[in-house]
Amino acid sequence: MLLEVKNLTKVFTVGLFKRREIVAVDDVSFNAEPAEFISLVGESGSGKTTTARMILKLLPPTSGEVIFEGKDVFGLKGIEESRSYYKSVHSIFQDPYAAYNPLHKIDRVLNQVFKLTGHSGAERDRLVKEALKEVGLRHEDVLGKFPHELSGGQRQRIMVARCYILKPKLILADEPISMIDASTKASILRLFSKLRDEYKTSVIFITHDLGLAYYVSDEVLIMSEGSIVEKGSPDDIMNRPQHPYTKKLREDIPLFYRKWPGF
Amino acid sequence: MPQLIKDLLRIKKLDASLAIFIGIILTSVLGSMLYATKPLAIVGPAEQPPSVEFPLGTDSWGRDLLALLLAGTKNSLRIGVTAALISLTIGLVIGVTAGFKGGIIDSALMLVTDVVLVLPSILIMMLVAAYLRERNPFYVSLIIGATGWPWVARAIRSQIMSLKSREFMYLSKMAGLKDVRIIIEDLLPNMASYIAMAFVLLMSGAMIAEAGLSMIGLGVTKGVSLGIILYWAQILESVRRGMWWWFGPPGAVLVALAASLLLMSTALDEYFSPRLKGG
Amino acid sequence: MKSTALLEAQAVKAYYSTRQGYIKAVDNIDLIIDKGMTLGVAGESGCGKSTLMNTLMMNVKPPLHFLEGTIVLDGKVISKMKISELKNDVWGVRISLVPQSALNALMPTKRIIDFIKDVIRHHTDVSDSEIASRARKRFEELNLPVDSLSMYPHELSGGMKQRAIIAVSTLLNPRLLIVDEPTSALDVSTQKQVLKMLMDLRKTGIIESMIFVTHDIAILRQIADSITIMYAGKIVESGPTEDVLFNPKHPYTLSLTSSVVTPEPEVRERGLASIPGEPPDLLDPPEGCRFYPRCTKSMSICRSVEPPLKSEGAQLVACHIASGDG
Repeated sequence: MLLEVKNLTKVFTVGLFKRREIVAVDDVSFNAEPAEFISLVGESGSGKTTTARMILKLLPPTSGEVIFEGKDVFGLKGIEESRSYYKSVHSIFQDPYAAYNPLHKIDRVLNQVFKLTGHSGAERDRLVKEALKEVGLRHEDVLGKFPHELSGGQRQRIMVARCYILKPKLILADEPISMIDASTKASILRLFSKLRDEYKTSVIFITHDLGLAYYVSDEVLIMSEGSIVEKGSPDDIMNRPQHPYTKKLREDIPLFYRKWPGF
Repeated sequence: MPQLIKDLLRIKKLDASLAIFIGIILTSVLGSMLYATKPLAIVGPAEQPPSVEFPLGTDSWGRDLLALLLAGTKNSLRIGVTAALISLTIGLVIGVTAGFKGGIIDSALMLVTDVVLVLPSILIMMLVAAYLRERNPFYVSLIIGATGWPWVARAIRSQIMSLKSREFMYLSKMAGLKDVRIIIEDLLPNMASYIAMAFVLLMSGAMIAEAGLSMIGLGVTKGVSLGIILYWAQILESVRRGMWWWFGPPGAVLVALAASLLLMSTALDEYFSPRLKGG
Repeated sequence: MKSTALLEAQAVKAYYSTRQGYIKAVDNIDLIIDKGMTLGVAGESGCGKSTLMNTLMMNVKPPLHFLEGTIVLDGKVISKMKISELKNDVWGVRISLVPQSALNALMPTKRIIDFIKDVIRHHTDVSDSEIASRARKRFEELNLPVDSLSMYPHELSGGMKQRAIIAVSTLLNPRLLIVDEPTSALDVSTQKQVLKMLMDLRKTGIIESMIFVTHDIAILRQIADSITIMYAGKIVESGPTEDVLFNPKHPYTLSLTSSVVTPEPEVRERGLASIPGEPPDLLDPPEGCRFYPRCTKSMSICRSVEPPLKSEGAQLVACHIASGDG
């Protein structure tokens, strides 16, 4: 078992005088094996991004555990243990706009991971160019530029390149292809498959797009209002949905090969 | 970032205020070096209006007011810069630590900040100043600097807190960077504008505070500053006796310095605000 | 002008002027919208579809310039009208555009009913109570909650805001409604509500025809009668929805339809196609076919000669291979 998420919960308290409690993530549990693609599907506000942040140790949980390769993630102490964790678990962030420090060139995003891998000098250059090529970018087009000089699609692909250099055991990909034009989505998905086939990388896709989840995952988890309301294979979810939320989702998604009744 | 400098220079407000400010600095620094007359030397008849020999006239002791003005401006600037740096350093360290660490450290530091904020700084300055027999410019800067930092700490703290939740921090965290490194490489550059504005405002406030302290007789004990000149002008009733060449120029220079600094801070604010929103 | 046509655009050119030259965003476009038609305009970012919509309405402000061409709406040549005429007679009255960022354009200090008053008062002088009753009637007609009229924008959900904006844009029963990515920020169920509302506008006759601009082809499959595919400032294929989507003649259309991701088994069987490269820079587009650099089937004529839009089967296609040239 690569990853075990057990009863993960996050409650936010907001407000200055009238304190309100917002339960963003409510008792979420699921597992992931090596070389597996899982999708966490939900609309904005469903708690999927918050769950991912906790798994990435970027947000402390209110209660619950995350166990990675047998070790308690929240019990890790010190810089060395953190580094070792991030070498194996990494993320692609949804908003390529906010995810980059606007004052640094994008090269920094790529070069930072070498702290975790330990490469140096010429090896670094080679790996960076190779990764950029894999995501369909020409290094002359993007190296040395600032984030605002690149398009959303380019920024998103650079983050994928970062993960490719690292080749972690688990990637949490938050809407990794939302900004990429339809004609190039497939190549990025193929890259994820390559990582899975060659390096046994698992990917947890965090998305609102049930179509993407259906196409790419081995298992689909539907989240709504902080909890997982349904779990199953893509076929289970589409053909035998159990929960009313899943059923409604299925009805409301615009399909390509079938027409909505009554439209 | 040469592009940054180019862009900044295009703002007219900044041009004007920078010109005035740098003009005053250069004049006072070079002037006090080049002008032959020593400021505190008695060189002529007392209370003379401006003439060819004494371009700004003389004071009640017969000292050259132009020499006094040049030296005084230079010292006031020095005290202003030193005090501003002291306040900025204290404010930055406390603000960054409180904002970044949060929790109990934040509460403790904010408590200290609030206490210092509430203390009447003039009284403190007066007490300390009166206690010290000898007050050199550095001590005066220290007194002013040690009481002027609370608002800086608070402003920096809220900036840090809002930046902390921006996602670009996550990438550095996941690269295994230590906290201090994340602060220096990621956070501080994004706060450069705040820090620059804070410095400018601190300096303006410090020079006025120095003038205030001096005018109640608690300024530097040796040497001269704008405030000291104004102090003498005041106790020898230059206003009532119409000796405008004594109180006029130092007052005007002080106002010009403060005003140009304030204008600079607005210009910086204008320039940085839209850019900070992602560009 | 054809008798069945509501809007006809011929040889329309609209460029952006920049320091580096002209961005040829709308480059010699011909387009016909029939009465009673819902036209879907699809294409990826930067293809010029939003610019085209503004141009069709003659909502052209520098740095965008209308260079040449004719646009005829309902028998009137709007491409020759002055701004004042357009403001009084065309915008909101005959054509209405709900732009991409409409959700954010609502002033937070005005209630919905106040927006409605502004719109109606600009065109006719009518009492407050008359406006209120018209607004209520229209909202009821469209199944919108009437109490939202007295609310401020921030009190409404994203979906409700969008529907309110669409309702206000169609108050004066324009003949043509243009909506640009109206649902991309909404969740799937709210999206369906908005789409249903747009269909109702057509069914109840409040509007005659509609243009729906989006990059999401699956939506167009559900609601559009006809589809126009744009690439790099040009129309590459146009025709009835089923023909364009299931029997595409242009290589770009084929790649678009083969990269649709919906949760259907056919998608898994087909796999996702992808084409290398990126759309060309509109400052200096290629001489011949603009898709040539990325096309796998090209011939030598494609590089030098721009393919004209020609009739092939049920649709219009701009492709030398499809037309059997060279």
